[in-house]
Order: sequence, then structure tokens, then C-alpha cells
Amino acid sequence: MSLHLRHQIEVSLSRRGRMQRRDFLRGVSAASIAAGTLSWHDLVTLQAAEINKRGMACIILWMAGGPSHFETFSPKPGHENGGETKAISTSVPGIEVSDNFPEFSKVMHHAAIIRSMTSKEGSHPRATYMMHTGYLPTASVKYPSFGSIVAQQIASAELDLPAFVRIGQATRDGAGGGILGVEYDPFHMPEAGKLPTNTAPSTDFVRYDRRLGLLDRLDASYATSGGKEEVAEHQRLYQKAARMIKSSQMSAFDLDQEPAEMREAYGDTKFGNSCLLARRLVETGVPCVEVVHGGWDTHFDNFPRVRELAGQIDRPFAYLLTDLHQRGMLENTVVLWTGEFGRTPRINPRSGRDHYPRAFNSVLAGGGIRGGQVIGRTDEAGGTVEERPVGVTDLLQTLCMSLQIDSTIENIASNGRPIRIVDDGAPITELFG
Amino acid sequence: MILGRFLAISGLLLALLVEHSAAGGLDPQATARQVDELLASESFGGAEQPDAATAPQAGDQTMLRRLALDLVGQPPTPDEITAYALDTSPDKQSAAVERLLADKSFGQNWAYYWRDVIMYRRSEERALQVNPALIKFLTAEFNGRPHWDQIARQFIIATGDIQQAGATAIIMAQMGVAEDTTAEVSRIFMGIQIQCAQCHNHPTDRWQREQFHELAAFFPRISIQPVREDGKRRSFAVVSTDKGPKKKGGNARRGSLEHFMPDLDHPEAEGTLMKPVFFVTGQKLDTGMADQERREQIADWITSRENRWFAKAFVNRMWAELVGRGFYEPVDDIGPDRSCSAPQTLEYLADGFADSQYDVKWLFRTIAATEAYARQSRSRYDESGAPFASNCPQRLRGDQLYSALLVALELPEGNREAARRKDYRRADGTPRGQVNKAFGYDPSERRDEIVGSIPQALFLMNGVELNRAITARGPNTMLNRLLKSIDEDDAVVQELYLRCLARDPNDEEVETCLEYVKSVGDRAEAFEDIAWSLVNSTEFLNRK
Repeated sequence: MSLHLRHQIEVSLSRRGRMQRRDFLRGVSAASIAAGTLSWHDLVTLQAAEINKRGMACIILWMAGGPSHFETFSPKPGHENGGETKAISTSVPGIEVSDNFPEFSKVMHHAAIIRSMTSKEGSHPRATYMMHTGYLPTASVKYPSFGSIVAQQIASAELDLPAFVRIGQATRDGAGGGILGVEYDPFHMPEAGKLPTNTAPSTDFVRYDRRLGLLDRLDASYATSGGKEEVAEHQRLYQKAARMIKSSQMSAFDLDQEPAEMREAYGDTKFGNSCLLARRLVETGVPCVEVVHGGWDTHFDNFPRVRELAGQIDRPFAYLLTDLHQRGMLENTVVLWTGEFGRTPRINPRSGRDHYPRAFNSVLAGGGIRGGQVIGRTDEAGGTVEERPVGVTDLLQTLCMSLQIDSTIENIASNGRPIRIVDDGAPITELFG
Repeated sequence: MILGRFLAISGLLLALLVEHSAAGGLDPQATARQVDELLASESFGGAEQPDAATAPQAGDQTMLRRLALDLVGQPPTPDEITAYALDTSPDKQSAAVERLLADKSFGQNWAYYWRDVIMYRRSEERALQVNPALIKFLTAEFNGRPHWDQIARQFIIATGDIQQAGATAIIMAQMGVAEDTTAEVSRIFMGIQIQCAQCHNHPTDRWQREQFHELAAFFPRISIQPVREDGKRRSFAVVSTDKGPKKKGGNARRGSLEHFMPDLDHPEAEGTLMKPVFFVTGQKLDTGMADQERREQIADWITSRENRWFAKAFVNRMWAELVGRGFYEPVDDIGPDRSCSAPQTLEYLADGFADSQYDVKWLFRTIAATEAYARQSRSRYDESGAPFASNCPQRLRGDQLYSALLVALELPEGNREAARRKDYRRADGTPRGQVNKAFGYDPSERRDEIVGSIPQALFLMNGVELNRAITARGPNTMLNRLLKSIDEDDAVVQELYLRCLARDPNDEEVETCLEYVKSVGDRAEAFEDIAWSLVNSTEFLNRK
């Protein structure tokens, strides 16, 4: 069996079996690049296109710093730990959220709150990494961020844009492509509303094409002096980059194409624009968008600060769910709102709350999840999970279930170790149906 | 065949003679010849007709660019290329090596390299605060008389404020966690990935779980403490914890007096108290020893001659950087159960390195003098030839690429000030930092796994600053000066090739460019496009 054929067959097996990236790079590069046929990535995306006929997508609203569960979706107004925060009723009878979320309370019927999140990681970097990858950081294996997994598993071949976009303040603790390779790194957008960095072409398109043509011709002599595969890989990358720059899909980044009422509905703020951009990207076919909102590390002045932070996200978050629903996209788009941990039940002397991983809350919506539910419960004091504990890997398993990604698929680290998409845990099945 | 074997044997005899005749390390040139003979016999199937199996020696211009990028991390300037071409002395290559080894950029280049080796494996972003001090420490070491055992020792025993003591980097990158520090020390200095045995006895490795935890028992007393100034956290410090809890508590950054191997069935249980034992030699300490005693002891044992892995790991890594392929790959996984593509050669070179007292520059001199190093490159995807029958193209690291851009476009280094600021996040904001962020890669990864990314392509294609530097219309750009001072178009083409690719264009390339200039009609615009294409070319991004 030719090397080329063997590798193609392995690729087709990879949905059920292992992704042997290195073997492909070696085998496919030598054989099929020479033949001008498909690259590893092309093969995978072709397959992924098969899988992604369903058009599933994921939006992560990342609350960096660790939002207080008391002041978000698990208020404890009757207890001294609850502080000044009040509870308000929602569109779903019997479910209350904190009074910092008046807009969200109106769309509770789209969302499910998990009030029994629990983990052991109380430091920002470790907990952030854990929540994004399902693993603790180690020197020997760079675990991929969940968005990178989504990009690898379900991006469509027709997509000209990067398959995993991260909007807002960059954090490497949130991990990147890791063992999947740089092509699955998050494409970083520091701010919504502008074109992404270096995507404005350096010249008009006529000259641009001329330049690319010259580049190809000049590269030819390197190809003949021992760099054939390198040149082929380089040209493919440049074609991809040029395709992106010239693609009509780039207009997804242009928020001015939205009517004023739509921008207003999202709030026309930094976070509002980011949520609107996330929707536009998903609409264009980007399978994973992460929006980062920072500032939740409220060691002091917890109450006014969380009120302010919640004020920044309440309306965009709520309208994102409404908008996705109205466009018929909510069923195929799972939205996760979460931070890396919660905050201490006891209010400290600076009227702040400190790190608390033992109990916190997250919110899920869409992607087949039935809205209007609450999963799990903490005790009266808000410090202990009393019912249905949900670990970080359980949450990631739930996302996999929603996105119909087989979490047992193994990617191979460079040291040869097979790494499952999610190693343990189980999905919260009662969320679905 | 018989003759080949005879040559190989006489080569070995020669090696023995050389070894005994030279005091304070072998002669690099003689060692290099011996390395080539050994390679010929064990890799190319006998020395009878080595030329048939191996790629020809690379030409002057390829060699100079290769040497410069490898040793000092930046390509030669047009002046240096011309001077090299005009030099007719037979030993001009070794003279160039000496010049490059004495260049200030040599230390900086290898400081960047080892920063990447260490920091790509960091467990937290905050560890990046050590970078400026690390670069300073390593630059000074490599620009002095670098001996790898002394450098390794400093890393292993380091304490102090991470913004002053750069040698704290390996520990800081792992936030002082004993298991992770252990794994990194073993990986970086011995090429042994013993951490695979952290949780289970590996089916294909000989190291047992106990042996990993016995090594970890040299490192339990390390703590990472915040350094405060005016009530604000300013930095971190690596400190010894010789008083405190016996066993580690919930805070991963805080050290404990002893190391315990967890009970996998009962993670909550105390686990087994481990004695510090060095798995390679079996040398051991008692529990109860102070942090510095433990770490100085393991530093001695790791860098001693009895530990063969220490020399082999460094030689393997440096050989891979220079010749393009390691004896073992990945370069940091060379344990006894891995296969080596030319074991005698590696043994021989590692012995020579140890004899030189782990003299880093001796190793560079020696490898650079081999025929294996000086051969033309063939693609690393081409696996038809024997190992080391050719050199292998290497993708430039972020720092090399940035320096190559500076040389090509005659640009100044850029905002050095910002890089010195205390805020490590802002160091990323310097032009070098940004290029590094986009183009850098973990040098320990297999090079066939390192592929280009879209943001890299976008940066080179569209980067605003870069395109401003390429333009011929700006009053003070390289191209503007070039077009003003040279009237003949073919001479401009030649100059651009020297600047960007450190070589003369061939006839076909000159013709392509001249035709292009003609077809565009606008001289400035056409040469902007040529410069843009050269900077965006595959050759620019690689060293042949």
C-alpha cells in the first residue's frame, strides 16, 4: 500500500480513532504534496465538513477573574453571606437570579443555570487553563483550548475565516492550539468593530495578485534546491491567507453592516459589540468564538463592582440569546457563560470576596439544551454543593454532547501520549431534550 | 568494503591517539574529521564512496548565511558576504566561526534560544517576568567562557528575586512545583522524560514511578514567594523553605520539607515519604537535608562525567540545531529506550564535549568543522537518504526572523526601552516581542511539526510597519536609498537578493525580476513588489 493511500485511510479512520498528526505531516507532505493533492488540514476539514453539516457552533462568554456566584445567578438574600444583593424573579416561575441581571431575567426561558459547579483550582492561571482545556497545566503536554478542539473537529471546509476567534483581552492561560498545532490557535481580535490585525491588504487587489504571482515565481528556485515541500506548504498557507483577506466572509467583522437598532439592542458597548461580532462570525460559519470580559476578581468593594460589571454584560448577554433565537440559530449554537471559579461566601473586611473554587455557577443556553432549568444547588450559606455536583470536565463533556463531538477521540502529543478531548467526567444529560 | 572497515578502524585508532595527545580538550578540526568518518561508517554504509550517498558541500554564500544564523541569530550583511567572497585563505570558514563566536550577538542568540526552551513550557503567564533577567544572565554566560555544566548548575541551585536572578527561570516557569521542576530539569539537562513515570510505570520505559519521585525529593523545599513593594506585588522570589510543613498543602507554590509519592488509589492519604535518589547513578541523600544541600548535590551528580546523559543531551540538541536533525528526535527525549540514528558518533562527540569540560564553544567549533554540517540541505521530508547525508533546512525562530528583517530592510532594533520595562506584558509590545509572539516556536518540538500560521502570513504580507519599511517612496527607506544610488536595475536586483537572502540571484531570477520591472512600468513600484516578494519568500523564512 502506498504511503499516501495509507495515510488517507488513517485520516478517514480518525473520526473514530486517533489523530496521528505527525505521521500525516511526514507521509502526506512527502507523498501528496508532491502530487499536488490534499494536505493534512484539507483532509481533516473535508471530513469535518461532513460532520458539520449540522452547522453546530459554540460561543464562550469568558468572565475572567472569577465572578461571584452570589451576585450573579445564585443569590442568597436570606443569608448573611448574601450581602446586599437581592433576588429577582425571571421569565420562568420559581427561578430567581440576582438583581444585577434584569435583562437576563427576561430570557431565563432560553437558559440553564448550573449552580453546583465545583473544582479544586483556586489560582487564576491554573483554574483558567483547567476550565479551557479540561486538564491542569504541565510542562510536557500543551493541552488544546476547547475552542481549538471545536475548530479541529467541526470547522467547515468552506470557511475562509479562522475557525476559532477570541475577542477581547488576550490570555495565554486560556491556552491555544497546543498539541493540535498553531493552525488551531485562537485568532485574536483585541476589539470588535475593527478589521483584525494585518488583514487590510497592503495594496489594491490587482497589485496584490501580481505580487503573489511574483512571489510564486521567485520561490521556484528554492523549491528546486531542496525546499520543494517547504515551498508547497508556504504557498498553501499564503493562498489561505490571501483567500481570507479577499473573502466576502471578511465582512462579518464589519459591524457597520448591522442596522443601528441592532447595535443599540446589543448595547453598542465594548462587550455588546463583541457579542454582536460573535453572532456575525457564527452566522458566517465560524464554529467557535470566545468573548473575554475581565475585571471579576473582586477582592474588595465586591458589591458595587459586580453591579457595574454585570451592567456591562447583562444586556448584551440577554440580547445575544434573543437574537440567536430569533434567527433560528440558538438550536445549533451552544452558549456558555462562565469564569474560572466563584467567590468566598464570607464577605471579607474590605467588603470583597476572595477566590472560591468549591462552589460556583455557570450558564448554558442553546445547542439543544432545554432552557428554563436550574441544575444543582448549594447550601444556604452558598459554600457547599448540596446537589448534583458538576466538575469542569462534566461541563466540557456537556459542550461536546451539544456539539456532537466525540469526547473520546485522542490527539497525540509530541511525546507520543494519546490525549483524549475530555479525559473524564460525564455530560449533564438532563439538560437536553 | 574491507577497505571501508579498515578506514573506520584506523579512524577509531586515530581518535584514541588524538584524545591522548591533546590536553584540555580535543582539537575541534581533528574531532570533526573523526565524526565524519564515524558517520560514514555507521550511517552511509562504509566510507568507500561517501560522495555517492551524501549531498555535496554547500557553497560559500549558503555556508556564511547558515553559520551566521546558527551562531549569532542573524544573517550576514552584504558587506560581510562580499568580504567573505573576496577572502582567499583556505581556513576562512573557521576564521568566520571564530569571528561569530566572539560576536556579542552570539550570547544573545543562544540566550533567546534557551529562553524559548524553558519558557514555552511555562505553566503560567506570570513566569514571563523572569525573561529580561534570564536573557541578561544567559547572554553574559554565553559571551564569556560558557561551560554547560556551570550554566546547568546555576539553574538547578537558583534562588532569589526572579527579576534579578535569571537562573531562577526553570523553577519559576514551573511555579516551584517539585514534580514539574523535576520533570523539566531531567528533560532539559538529560533529555530524559522521566515524568512519564510520575503517575504510572511506563510500559516501554525502564524508569519506575518511585524513581521519578525520588528525583522529585531533591526539590520539595522550593517556594515561590511574592515580593512586595509599597504593599503591591512587584515580583516573585525563589526561596528555600527549610522550616514549614512536612508535606505539601493546598498552595502549589509553597514548598514542604519532604516529598511524598501520592497513593494513586487513595489520593487523600499521606503517600510515601521519598528519599532523594538520583536514578542514573543510584547516588542518594537522607531525608531532612536543607534545600541548598539537596540541590547542590543533585547539580553535582547531574553534571558529573558518570552521568552520560548530560553531555549527550546537549550534544544531541546542538547537533540538531546545526545539522538540522538530531541523533534522537524529539531532541529532548533520548532515554535508553529510544533509538539513536548514529550512536557511535554521538558517543564520540559527547565524550569530546565532556573532555572539553563541557565547553560550549568547543562544541560549536567542532560541529561547524564537520562535513556533515557543511553539506547542502535537502528537505526534511525527504527521507530517502541516510541520516546526516545532508544538512536540513531550519525554519527561523522568531528572534532570527526579526533580526533578518532588520538586516534586509536596514532597520534599527526598535523599541528596546519598552522591553526593559518591568511589566512583562509590555515586553510583548516591542516589535521584536510581537514578531516573536507570532513566529516563535518551542525549539524542543520536532521541526516537522512546526508549520506556518495565518497570523504569520498576514504579518509579512500586510503588516503596516513592515510595508512602510519596504516602500521606495518613503524618504529614508532602504529601497529609496538603493534606487537613488544605483541606476542599473540588475544591480538593484542583486543588492536586494544579498540583503534579503544573503546570496546572489541566479540568471533566471535576474531575468524574472527585470521582466517584472519592465511589465510594471513603474520602477519604484516594481522594486517594492520584488522586495515584498523576497521578504515573503520561503527562503527568507528558512535557513538552508
